[in-house]
Amino acid sequence: MKKDIYEFEVAKGFILSNIFAFAIIGITKHFAEKQGVLIFSEFVIVPFVMGVICAWSWKELGMTRGRMTWVSCLNALIGIGLSAIILKEGAICLLIVSPLIFGFMITGAFTGRAMFKKNNQNLNVSILSLLFVLFIADSLSVHQYENLVSDEIVINAPPEKVWKNVVAFEKIKEKNKFWLFQAGMPAPMATTVEGYYKGAGRKCIFSNGYIFDEKIVTYSPNHDLTFDIIGQPKDPEIMGHIDIIRGQFLLKDNGNGTTTVIGNSWYKLYVFPVWYYDIWAKSITRNVHLRVMDHIKALSEKN
Amino acid sequence: MFSFVISYLNFLKYIPLFPHVFDSLLRVWVLVTKPKLLNWLDEIEGEVLNWQGTNVSIHKYGGLQFNYRGTEIGHIHSNGLLDVLYTLKIKEVLLKTGRVSNHHVFAKSGWISFYIKRTEDKKYALELLWLKYQDIHGGNTESHRVYLVDYQNAITLCEPLYFPLLSSVRLLLEI
Repeated sequence: MKKDIYEFEVAKGFILSNIFAFAIIGITKHFAEKQGVLIFSEFVIVPFVMGVICAWSWKELGMTRGRMTWVSCLNALIGIGLSAIILKEGAICLLIVSPLIFGFMITGAFTGRAMFKKNNQNLNVSILSLLFVLFIADSLSVHQYENLVSDEIVINAPPEKVWKNVVAFEKIKEKNKFWLFQAGMPAPMATTVEGYYKGAGRKCIFSNGYIFDEKIVTYSPNHDLTFDIIGQPKDPEIMGHIDIIRGQFLLKDNGNGTTTVIGNSWYKLYVFPVWYYDIWAKSITRNVHLRVMDHIKALSEKN
Repeated sequence: MFSFVISYLNFLKYIPLFPHVFDSLLRVWVLVTKPKLLNWLDEIEGEVLNWQGTNVSIHKYGGLQFNYRGTEIGHIHSNGLLDVLYTLKIKEVLLKTGRVSNHHVFAKSGWISFYIKRTEDKKYALELLWLKYQDIHGGNTESHRVYLVDYQNAITLCEPLYFPLLSSVRLLLEI
């Protein structure tokens, strides 16, 4: 096959599959039950069908496995790049979503290759119809998910000494250990408080200057500090994807001069499938906890 | 990585499409670390498709599956792991060659596993597939019955390419 025809067919696959994907995402956004919710189908069925569309466009090219994998990866990168431009997604978000996009797009391309090799129209129509039904069913389903992440640390100091560092603390100077923080995801830096009472405002300041506005809802000195998040920064990395609802520090006197501190965070996810995104949400929340709690431990154990 | 997933996350294979996506990501990894392996898989596919009555499909747990009239000959995962099901007797003989191992999951079954790591492994993989193909292909013929009884006769039915393996199988059966 002539090189220009080959390149045209490859480009056709890229263009058709991306038009399909962004049309579907646009339609889904328009009819979504809640604006900003990104459903399972958009990360699973859409890239899978994009791969199938590519395989259809490339069916006469006799691509080797290696070549098909490369061009599918390239198409995934194009899709991810367009998501940054059109959907204004942040770099960390795109990094998190990329394994799904790469995985399902390549799977779709190789499934499509097998489908079109068999040339069984009934089978092809059945597979695509099944995917369409799944997509519609998923789009019409209610998507709601809340979870709690809890972490515990023992501090070699009595609760009275720990408490003052829990309510507010000076700037964290410790280097970031978590790879996503090192990659540019905002990490917690400091916390300020308006006053030491229930109803007082609290601010959690992140490394890029973003501020979470909080309000203390339980103030039980040396025992329980619970706060609701009332204002979340408009960061493209988190905007519309996750809401941190509430945070809590519980202190338990161990009776031997040490204190067990339990950090709890409640959050709501707006990206699905949960089996994938909750792993990330838990990991990020846990690392926020640990960075803050390690800092509280260092401050409290300081002479 | 593959061993870790197989050992500890094997239950995930029951999630629809999960093994296929895992296999796709393996393919990306192979493309970056050992692109020649994907060419060898293409060459194996091309060779097997030359055998009468064969076709390929996607294996239910991810990978390239070779079939003869609806019966699986064997399958290769994208990291170059070939799995073929033989009778326990043939498996026992093949294990004695030292080149194949028990299946990476079903160790006690007739399945064997063989990693394609070098160019010469491609030929051996084809021999293993051919051995199975002969088993299914000749299942209803007189020559196949002879083949099962006497591997010496079976060798005469095979292409020279596949002679070494069948020859070694025969020798080991005689020992």
